[in-house]
Amino acid sequence: MSEIKFILDGKTVTAAPGETIMQAARKAGVEIPGLCTNGKVSRTTSCFVCVVKDKKTGRFLPSCSACPAEGQEVESETAEVAEMRRTALGLLLSEHTGDCEAPCTMACPAHAKVEEYVRAGRKGDFKEALRIIKERIPLPMSIGRVCPRFCEKDCRKNITGKAVSINDFKRLAADLYYDEYMEDLPELNGKKVAVIGGGPAGLSASYYLRLQGYAPTIYERMPQAGGMLRYGIPQFRLPKEILDREIAHYLAMGIEINCNVELGKDITLEQLSADFDSVIVCVGSWSPSAMRIEGEEYAEQGIRWLEGLAHAKWTNCKNPGRTVVVGGGNTAMDCARNALRLGGDVTVVYRRTQNEMPAEQLEVHEAMEEGVKFEFLTAPLSLRKNVDGSLSLACQKMELGEPDASGRRSPVPVEGSDFTFEVDTVIAAIGQRTKAPAGIEADKRGNVAAARENLQVSGNIFAAGDCVSGPATVVEAVAGGRKAALAAIDFMEGREHVEAPLFNVSRGHWRSLCKEDLVYIRDNVSEDDRVQPEYISMEKRKTTFEELFPTIPAEKIQAEGERCIECSCTSKGECKLKKFSEKYAVKPDMFTGKKQIHAADTRHPYIIHDRMKCVKCGICVKTCGEIINKNLLAFMKRGFNTSVGTSFNQGFPSYCKDCGACINECPVGALDWREKK
Amino acid sequence: MNPEFSYLSEVSAEKGNLIKGLQLIQEREGYVSDDGIKAAAAHFSLADAEVEGVLTFYAQFKRNKPGKYQISTCDGTACHIKGAPLIQEWLTTALGIKSGETTEDGLFSIETVACLGCCSLAPVMAINGRVYGKLDRKALLKIINEYKKQG
Amino acid sequence: MSEIKRIKVGTASCGLAAGAGAVLENFKRLAGDIPVAEVGCIGHCYCEPIVELELKDGTNIFYSSVKADDASVQAILALTENGRFTIPAERAAIEKLYVTRLAGRIDPKDIEEYKANGGFESLKKATAVTPAEVVEWVKKSGLRGRGGAGFSTGMKWSFLAAKTAEEKILICNADEGDPGAFMDRSMMESVPFQVLEGMLIGAYATGATKLFIYCRAEYPLAIKHLQIGIDAICKAGLNLLPGREKPLDIMIKEGAGAFVCGEETAMIASLEGQRGQPRFRPPFPTDKGWNGYPTAINNVETYANIPVVIADPDAFAALGTEKSTGTKIFALAGDLKNPGLAEVPMGVTLGDIVYKIGGAAPGSVKAVQTGGPSGGCIPADKFDVKMDYDSLKELGAIIGSGGLIVIGNDRCMVETARYFLDFTHRESCGKCTFCRVGTMRMFETLERIVAGKGQESDIDFLEDLGNKIKKGSLCALGQTAPGPALSTIRYFRHEYEAHVRDGYCPVNQCNALSDVALDPAKCVKCKLCIKNCPVGAISDDFKIDNSKCTRCNTCIDTCAKKAIARVKKGTGYDSTPGK
Repeated sequence: MSEIKFILDGKTVTAAPGETIMQAARKAGVEIPGLCTNGKVSRTTSCFVCVVKDKKTGRFLPSCSACPAEGQEVESETAEVAEMRRTALGLLLSEHTGDCEAPCTMACPAHAKVEEYVRAGRKGDFKEALRIIKERIPLPMSIGRVCPRFCEKDCRKNITGKAVSINDFKRLAADLYYDEYMEDLPELNGKKVAVIGGGPAGLSASYYLRLQGYAPTIYERMPQAGGMLRYGIPQFRLPKEILDREIAHYLAMGIEINCNVELGKDITLEQLSADFDSVIVCVGSWSPSAMRIEGEEYAEQGIRWLEGLAHAKWTNCKNPGRTVVVGGGNTAMDCARNALRLGGDVTVVYRRTQNEMPAEQLEVHEAMEEGVKFEFLTAPLSLRKNVDGSLSLACQKMELGEPDASGRRSPVPVEGSDFTFEVDTVIAAIGQRTKAPAGIEADKRGNVAAARENLQVSGNIFAAGDCVSGPATVVEAVAGGRKAALAAIDFMEGREHVEAPLFNVSRGHWRSLCKEDLVYIRDNVSEDDRVQPEYISMEKRKTTFEELFPTIPAEKIQAEGERCIECSCTSKGECKLKKFSEKYAVKPDMFTGKKQIHAADTRHPYIIHDRMKCVKCGICVKTCGEIINKNLLAFMKRGFNTSVGTSFNQGFPSYCKDCGACINECPVGALDWREKK
Repeated sequence: MNPEFSYLSEVSAEKGNLIKGLQLIQEREGYVSDDGIKAAAAHFSLADAEVEGVLTFYAQFKRNKPGKYQISTCDGTACHIKGAPLIQEWLTTALGIKSGETTEDGLFSIETVACLGCCSLAPVMAINGRVYGKLDRKALLKIINEYKKQG
Repeated sequence: MSEIKRIKVGTASCGLAAGAGAVLENFKRLAGDIPVAEVGCIGHCYCEPIVELELKDGTNIFYSSVKADDASVQAILALTENGRFTIPAERAAIEKLYVTRLAGRIDPKDIEEYKANGGFESLKKATAVTPAEVVEWVKKSGLRGRGGAGFSTGMKWSFLAAKTAEEKILICNADEGDPGAFMDRSMMESVPFQVLEGMLIGAYATGATKLFIYCRAEYPLAIKHLQIGIDAICKAGLNLLPGREKPLDIMIKEGAGAFVCGEETAMIASLEGQRGQPRFRPPFPTDKGWNGYPTAINNVETYANIPVVIADPDAFAALGTEKSTGTKIFALAGDLKNPGLAEVPMGVTLGDIVYKIGGAAPGSVKAVQTGGPSGGCIPADKFDVKMDYDSLKELGAIIGSGGLIVIGNDRCMVETARYFLDFTHRESCGKCTFCRVGTMRMFETLERIVAGKGQESDIDFLEDLGNKIKKGSLCALGQTAPGPALSTIRYFRHEYEAHVRDGYCPVNQCNALSDVALDPAKCVKCKLCIKNCPVGAISDDFKIDNSKCTRCNTCIDTCAKKAIARVKKGTGYDSTPGK
């Protein structure tokens, strides 16, 4: 028989007799996606992701099964075909359940590979853990201490107990290996980037630039680098000796840090933009918000007050005496606890209740433990300076009314509830705002207006960190810095910046799940209590600036690692459904509706069968039947309830040779080894 | 092979007769148990999973022991628009079981079938193959009570 | 001496369900020495049980809706004028009985009676010429498959005839699965020999060596009659075709309850002892079918047509329309006076069938669903459509196997679509994505709409997804499954819009969107409704508690004064508003 010539997307393609359109297209360099065919077992023709359009009849053909006819015109790369493929993928996703990524990784603003570094730590390899951490978190010593732990809030372990103490893995791994760890640094490629601001965002941007061979130069207005880490976060939360060690690594990487250089005074954006291939603005958010009350000028401004303490090396400061801190955020907590340590008698005044406080609850608790008093539902009215130098802060009690735009119930004054604090110091810590540098456009909240998709401000200028987002966390700043660095690199290389799509299917938030929903891939996941840090004595906490607790030792952290469930998909790296869904920009919720409910079968010592992931491609059934000749798996039932199962749902029988052939061919990880790769 | 199912030898062992073999088991036993599947697998030289896969594809096969009186309610189009869902509801109320279930005393089981082919008499049901047509609530309860009396 | 020569009682499934069993028994008991025969169905299912008296003078009398009591039976034996049944002239003018000529008129189990009425004459005629000539006759007749797709039977036979193989397979698709279609059952029960004769002719023409009849297990009587027929044929030696050394292998295979097995590749898989899942074509069954052998499949009605075709191919071709020749048997069900079967020439208008044969009151019908769950609905203003393959296709419907479900004015079209999608999503074989998951998503959306939880965007969603399922499904089941939703949206979009926009079911059929209300002006306080309410939702002062009411309609059905009705939720006269 002779070869068949047909037309694929306008080009003539040759197929051998019996060859399918998909096979012929592949030879011609056109890769048609498909899930249910692997060339080793007989065709099933089930997924229909591989459809192509027959131009003449207008019909859509599964290219894995249809053989071309002489002269047939077939379309594969048109919008219409893509739409059909998207629909097929969307429908498959609507019956597919699993967790591509573990919820901790999804919750982390930097999307650090939590499960992976916790696993390395569990196995005692903290150097490997540090390597994985630094892929996304280049300030692990600091973040290991000050992170508000987004990851732990979404940890599935919350269903059965308390979250895995994830952040302590970072702290330990960094404490152990940070100083000796050095990345493989490529040769510098000659391109230079100016980074304005040596805080978390600027350091992070510099780090990822240097890792790819670009030479960053940091300009820092303060005497030392670190930004908020140095001048905002108190010593007892992040000892500055630790920060120094952390920054020393940047210098060791050859990153130039110029301190005491202020934008607008010593340097100009215009000049930097001209002198460097790219500029990344990371100037932070440093302007204190006003209380907008009479006598405001008599109050200390929280962030400025902390900065003053930093300059004075924390300990050598005067006792603020009777102190009222106004505000409910992390800065307010930091001010209150510092004031306390300096010998002050501290009361925090907040206009809503403890539930609405934006500060981390852990910090609120710690502050309360240490003896900070709280006056909730209280708002300042006016501040007066008395002749003896003391202050009178007039306040008013509040009650909660209707929810406002942020969803929090807004406080409403209670008539006739006025009262007065007689104090020595009032610290207003009610927030900060960004002051966009001259020559840079600000958005309506006053932050630097940077494009959402690539953080570009204009031309070769990018921005990241608090100055873009408004006051946020260190880990968010670090994520922003990395993003700006990668976007700037693409800009310098003349490429379009396309962020790797973050495709994720999830079983749901732990609050919507129960114990039975958890899939245990590993045996003997520990159900012990969460590891607890050993706090220094309360006396020391109240009177010194010593760090609250020492780093938890390795053996305890390793044991803590045993508590991790390892939620992510065993084959997240290879899943074809994920790969094609990313390619065709399909969202997991394109279609929604009922899903089949099956418990993951973990009865086999080595193989896990998670039927909630199954896309009914039938490859496993055929592999076991046609190749291995065992027929241990079969399609059961029909219609929407079709599933792949073992006889009498008894799991793989003892005569299963654990050959893994079905696992190797499963396109989605519904069948997989119980040990993660 | 399990001697309980030795009658399978009435059906020749080529795979094409698998459904017939399963039908024979169901005819004799009223349903196809795990042992029935194993016996069929042995008779036709197939894997258990393969036989179970075929069996669960077809609506006719029952995996649970049905009642002495098997009620098939028709949910064909004609019956549906003439009130088949209500027939099912009334049956459920009267017997305390849903489609696919058997009463505790083992007397009744209900199944819903696609079409009994008696559309002109809709709504219809069949009890052990006997068709009752033009049902309403009264007629239905009367029929059920008669079977109950027979026990 | 009685004038009666023979008594015939219709004991097909429809007759038996109407009580023909008792009628038969009593005639046997009371008729003395007059022979009493069991016959099949003449198609007038609405007035079963039917008894025909053959008189000695050669005429016959039909009695309809016959009661089994002695007095009624004796009255008929005395040739009472009461209860006599003649086919209305209006209907008789449209119906043309070729294929169903003998249905319900002869004893289906008696090969001799079939022969006496011209049976096996066509087989004789066919086997007197070459197989190729027979195929030519069938081609010439224009006969198209009666199972749904409408492919030329002669062409299909010629494909199989052209193959050389150790075995060639001919299958009779008797897996009549469309809810609302029962002509195949009736033919098998009433004239099994005619179906078998068609198969024998087919075997001769195509060179087939093995014949399968794949019949639904739900048709026990049809299976019984066919088996009797096969045994009689083998006994008479008719299974040894001229020029053959080996007799034909004829087997009945019982289906096991899977609608998708009506699809030819699924049916073959099922006959091979596998799950009834279709596969991609090509290869077509005529190239690679049952166990790899060349295979052709025709449906029951097609085979029943063959003796008629062979008797006179030209006359057959002259019947019906140019591209759809012959007659078609339609099964009428739903909201009409005379449900049953009717054989009419192709090209008769739908209106004639619904109104003149079905006896539906003009103005009482809003649509007809043709082709069962695979088909579509045709609104009443399009009832002048000619019933042939191509005209129906233009309207987004199909002739299918010929089931016609008449949908009355008080039926909700959204609920109708929901019902069909409920059927198809459960009957999907589960293989291909679009059908397995897509039909489920459509069904869920329709469920939401009838539950009053739909959104405006749901209508477009259904259309969009429905069109993709049509294009992207592996077999005809999936390709046609969205039909009922798409065609009801096409012709009754306003009903969908009322549900999603106004939370209103225009015919107050959807339980979640309607209340039951009693009109005090019409009520005569007979208390029948109170007595009959199964859940005690009607108080002694005739107030209906809609939060208790299960919408079972019992009160509406029992009220002689029609004082109780479904109304839009929350708008009842004195009804206690629902939750």
